Amino acid sequence: MTTESPTPELSYEKPLPPVLELTKPFWDGCREGVLQIQFCNICDLPWFPPAEACPRCLQDDWEWRPISGHGTVWSWIRMWQKYFPGWSPDEYPYTVALIKLEEGPYMYSTLVEIEDQDVSCDLAVEVDFRKVNDEITLPVFRPAST
Amino acid sequence: MANQPDRSDLRNLRDKTAIVGVGTTEFGAIYRDLDPERSAYELGLIAFREALRDAGLKRTDVDGVIVSRLPHYGRMCEMIGLRHPRFVNVLPGEGRQSGIALQYAALAVANGMADVVACIYGNNGRSAGARYGGESRGISTQAMFEAPYGMTSPGAVTSLMFRRHQYRYGTTTEPLAHLAISNRANAALNPNAVMQRPITMDDYHGARYIAEPLCLFDYCLINDGGVCFIVTSAERARDLQHTPVLIHATSQASDITPVYVADDFWHEPMSQIADDLFAHSEAQREDLAFAQLYDNFTPTMLFTLEGMGFCEPGEGGDWITPERIGLHGELPLNTGGGHTSESYMQGWALHVEAVRQLRQDCGERQVDDAQYGLYACAAPLATGHILKRDN
Repeated sequence: MTTESPTPELSYEKPLPPVLELTKPFWDGCREGVLQIQFCNICDLPWFPPAEACPRCLQDDWEWRPISGHGTVWSWIRMWQKYFPGWSPDEYPYTVALIKLEEGPYMYSTLVEIEDQDVSCDLAVEVDFRKVNDEITLPVFRPAST
Repeated sequence: MANQPDRSDLRNLRDKTAIVGVGTTEFGAIYRDLDPERSAYELGLIAFREALRDAGLKRTDVDGVIVSRLPHYGRMCEMIGLRHPRFVNVLPGEGRQSGIALQYAALAVANGMADVVACIYGNNGRSAGARYGGESRGISTQAMFEAPYGMTSPGAVTSLMFRRHQYRYGTTTEPLAHLAISNRANAALNPNAVMQRPITMDDYHGARYIAEPLCLFDYCLINDGGVCFIVTSAERARDLQHTPVLIHATSQASDITPVYVADDFWHEPMSQIADDLFAHSEAQREDLAFAQLYDNFTPTMLFTLEGMGFCEPGEGGDWITPERIGLHGELPLNTGGGHTSESYMQGWALHVEAVRQLRQDCGERQVDDAQYGLYACAAPLATGHILKRDN
């Protein structure tokens, strides 16, 4: 499921996430083409972003479980302001989407394989992956195939 | 829900305390005068000095200090020669905190922990090159799960919420334009405002996008400034030189999630605040002479109006008309120009404007019959007060 970027960039200057002990399984999963988040082993609550304990049970008895990769676009914007280095002039405006995962939590991402004029809130999407380097592969979302 | 707290005790604070002095720096003048050496404490000091003079109090009358955006209370107290304050607190530099500062001051004074509390804010963001976006360092959620997609800035989050509102209710950017134009028209009557040149509908629609669908005129300014307000008991306030502005009703509510946005556009916390305020006041919505609504970005005002029941959810777009929100309309909004035109003081200057309106001290931009006025801030951590001109 993991795909190489069509034109691998020699120097990648966009922000890269620091990988922590807590978040390493997330990135390990993405590298393998598996989107996973934490679930509580006591009450089965899923949550994202990663945290040290279940926000309901407050216990640290949890595990990473693969999720469906399906969700909907809660909302999306086109970013015109040049806040970060790493986006080339022809990439503006770029799309940022807030995805509501089928399992409940929200996740920021971007949309691929769709033109802006076809994007809408509540659009059904599924995860895909874009390799950045040997450590980081970013989850992105495309229109759901079914 | 189980264990609904009894919120009726909020009425214990009613009319116990008052704002007796307000001060600000000259926002317009220093906007045009960038100074990399300008410190936030210096700006706080200028505002404090002005507020003391306004109150007719001496430095030594102050026995409580709350600072915000200023990193350390110690430096501020040292600079104003306050060696033995008996009530001190520090609040972070975010807009949600200005209303909370007033609440803490009122709580402290009403419960005997201090007699006179100075709430001091200083912001040298413009001179210091603050961009309010683009952070990608450290191990925050932002750095790990947002910045890699180029997601950044409070404005972008508000833009996501507004897009959702558009989708759900068919809202257009027209009401946002009305808010931005109205703010600017009010600022044109405010000699202290940073931006005083009126804007038109064409200006609004011709402005560049920042995070589309929001454009430049939906955004707060980035400018330097300081603000101070001084709170004491209502009794003591009545011996001072100005008509006291009473902290008549106040409330806080919240909706804290990992993503800041709220699927109901903060209706739940804002309606809770409205219920609290109007339950504990003889004033109702129609009695408010104005509303100073937190406007980091124009949609926040729309969400506040809907959440607090000035109109139904989804109807804000139709409700917001120039006639209704103008200085002599049904509910004048952000009468000093707000964050988009007067000054981005993260809610602090909105409090000062409320006080000046209730003192009927606003000259050309004075609203009619200013007896009660509203401040409200919609955010994950939300606040609201009704302030009242003492009779």
